[in-house]
Amino acid sequence: MTHSPDNSALLENLRLELRRGSLIVAVLAGLRSEQYGYTLRKALSDQGMEIEEGTLYPLLRRLETQGLLLSEWREADKRNKRFYRLSPSGAEVLEKLLAEWKAIDASLDQIVKG
Amino acid sequence: MDPLDRYLNNLSKLLPAAERDDIIRELSEDIQSEMEEKREKLGRSLTDQEQIDLLSRRGNPLKVAAAYQQEHRSLAFGRQWIGPVLFPFYIRVLTFNLSLTFFILTVVFAALYFGGQTVHLADVFSNFLLQIVLQFTAVTVIFSLIERHLSKYPGHWNTQQVRALHLPRVEKTVREVSRFESVSIIVASAVALIWIQAVWSHLFLIFGPAASFLRLAPIWHQIYWPTVAIILASMLRATINLARPDWIRFRAVSRVLFDAAGLVLLYFLIRAQYWVVLAGEAENQTAGKAHMLQVVNQWTYFALWIAAAVAIAETVGHLIRLVRTIHGPSAAGI
Repeated sequence: MTHSPDNSALLENLRLELRRGSLIVAVLAGLRSEQYGYTLRKALSDQGMEIEEGTLYPLLRRLETQGLLLSEWREADKRNKRFYRLSPSGAEVLEKLLAEWKAIDASLDQIVKG
Repeated sequence: MDPLDRYLNNLSKLLPAAERDDIIRELSEDIQSEMEEKREKLGRSLTDQEQIDLLSRRGNPLKVAAAYQQEHRSLAFGRQWIGPVLFPFYIRVLTFNLSLTFFILTVVFAALYFGGQTVHLADVFSNFLLQIVLQFTAVTVIFSLIERHLSKYPGHWNTQQVRALHLPRVEKTVREVSRFESVSIIVASAVALIWIQAVWSHLFLIFGPAASFLRLAPIWHQIYWPTVAIILASMLRATINLARPDWIRFRAVSRVLFDAAGLVLLYFLIRAQYWVVLAGEAENQTAGKAHMLQVVNQWTYFALWIAAAVAIAETVGHLIRLVRTIHGPSAAGI
């Protein structure tokens, strides 16, 4: 018996699942240097990691609640902006996540090459 | 108030209260940064329409707000039935329905008690539990169908259609019936129809143990079909507006007509003077039951006058909007 799923919808779901974990790593890595939301979004986008503001800001709040980020409101360019940076605990987690990601990448590479 | 303020004002109502100010402050900064960048690129200020387009691109405000709901609350049995976007509204509808039903049941049980009838705790418990199960099932099924529709056709929440949701107060540019309003009316009407049908055939749903000796008065039989017709017509109107959100005059005219029809029904109801009668033969009608009947009818009388006051106020509001709609521009002229 054959199935004919809507491949584009399926692919989109799988792509979102794949991106979800990567986004966290990208955001943590992007905040090794202090940035506010808009510049972080632009920086990630410029490097090919598009992220909607509706995804970014709730994620930043969650990561801060988890103790991985620190934030403070400060004036810059005549407006108050919220600056985020990696906390010491966030830096530790990022290092471990990057190691994990590299291991997964290496394994996948081997699997795909057969 | 400019489009940004209106957008944030509307969005803030959907956000968790504890974090509202902080989220709005941050989102405001983000939007202003984007607007500033666009201004620099164009070398001029943004027009209202350009600002609205920029805000619309941020997506459905329900979805924006849902992303901030703690733990992305949803209802899931195996697969997700009601996702975080609809979940807050699902809870609101369920709470409203259950509150209304519980109020009615409390009045009935109080009337039974003060009428000298024996009220068993088991009866109270089983009636309330039954209501919870029925309402939960009906509301959950309807919302899960909407969730499936939204998941299947996410593109339906496009910027044109959500513009009314984003900026409902921009009278000159927003000339559409919001999709959320139409869906809410369809859901609420469907639940109302199911509830009416259930109560009609199972009086214990509304009277509890008093269903053994209480009956609905003839007036309810007389207004049954007109009531069903008004509810069906409202559903039809909302469905049409779902397909044609630009038919705002159609919505305005229909609403006033339905309001008028509802007021006529209320007039006949209030004129009826009694709304609940005793069942069975006269010899079975004890003084206690008669007293209870008097209490229920008295409460119903007050409730109907309150309903009439609310309905009149709503009709006046709808009439004012109708006049404004007729004198204002309409996208489709309908």
